[in-house]
Amino acid sequence: MRNRFVVYLVCLAVLNLGSPLVAQAELIGTLQAVEASTRAQDLATVNSALARDQVRAQFVALGVDPAQVETRVAALTDSELRTLAGQVSAAPAGADALAVIGIVFLVLLILEAVGVIDIFKKFP
Amino acid sequence: MRSSRAARAAACVAALVLAGCATRGPQLPPVVATGLPAGVELESTPFFPQQDDQCGPAALATVLVASGAQVAPDELVSEVYLPGRKGSLQAELKAAARSRGRLPYVLPPSLDDLLAQLAAGHPVLVLQKTGAGPWPGWHYAVVIGYDASRDRLVLRSGTERRLEMSASLFLATWDRADRWAMTALEPGELPARADFGRTMEAAAGLEAVGRLDDAERAYRTAAKHWPDEPLPRVALANIALARGDPTAADRELRTALGLAPDDVAARNNRAELLRSMGCPESARREIAIAARLAAGGPLAAAVASTQRRIDASSGPDGPGCPAE
Repeated sequence: MRNRFVVYLVCLAVLNLGSPLVAQAELIGTLQAVEASTRAQDLATVNSALARDQVRAQFVALGVDPAQVETRVAALTDSELRTLAGQVSAAPAGADALAVIGIVFLVLLILEAVGVIDIFKKFP
Repeated sequence: MRSSRAARAAACVAALVLAGCATRGPQLPPVVATGLPAGVELESTPFFPQQDDQCGPAALATVLVASGAQVAPDELVSEVYLPGRKGSLQAELKAAARSRGRLPYVLPPSLDDLLAQLAAGHPVLVLQKTGAGPWPGWHYAVVIGYDASRDRLVLRSGTERRLEMSASLFLATWDRADRWAMTALEPGELPARADFGRTMEAAAGLEAVGRLDDAERAYRTAAKHWPDEPLPRVALANIALARGDPTAADRELRTALGLAPDDVAARNNRAELLRSMGCPESARREIAIAARLAAGGPLAAAVASTQRRIDASSGPDGPGCPAE
């Protein structure tokens, strides 16, 4: 009995994923039109629903309060989700970088300045 | 406290090292020579000292409050802080700005555009990369001013209310973050030197998360500023359809097609609109044009999907359909 309830719930959740798109599937959305004008690839090849699932899972894994995950995922656009999918752990995440990491940066800068390393490609 | 002192010491020594090895000349004077004031400081920009690793919420609150929104960094933590990364993602800063009815405009990656926003009164949230190699360190700060004669920028950064940074040190950290910068605007406002694609992308983000009123304001502003572009009209039509107003949508789409008869999105959406209004014959005519225009392009699949649906509804136009 309880199992069946869970199955229904999961079905509902899965069906619900696509619902905002299904309503007007034959209209080209504004964001889609903007992307089409800036990118050459076929937008249909990138699956937004899949990207949404990936980002959701990554948020959970990175400690986002489960009560907040849906709200946060819903606040992102399809294009942001596609960019983030699979990248949440690697994408830039601004933090308190000027303290400890500033010192690392400094050491690297000195090494760079005296010619031991060459990692700052864009650096003069 | 301790970390802040360490940061200051690190910044000072780094500045000295850079001053010693920087071979490129002054950065700001050539930029301001293009028609910007020699110096600007947006002193009234609020300051929220960051707590722990939370420069994202602090920097975001700074630009949001400066744009007139009511928000405190604490309220933003649950929206933008990622505990597992001890930081915040760029996309989530944009999302939180949208949730507060602000247009998150991501600047073109140039110093000119950054200074132009300051001259126009908009503080700019920037991403800086301070670490390297196995210790990538990222930091958000807000640029609030510059002084070309001294080649320095002024920032609200971390626990520093007023951090002066040489332009070359700033650029060393900003370049390595791909010069990412955003500003928060009211939806009816345009950034200085507004880029059409970036403005539309920001506005479409508001629409995508259901903030139709804010998106509409941004689209109307864009339609007025770029009167020859069809896209803001297509966007306004989408808003009208989302509100169940096909008459207004049709008016906007016809305006768009008057401006650009070859616009794929306008053709496709007009075809779908005609189908839904009981005009299958006109819809078939429109979608055939759209399919020809879209062939081989990024919207080909979307148009093909519309065409399948339209082809499924046969028969002649009902009364009140456009005669052609």
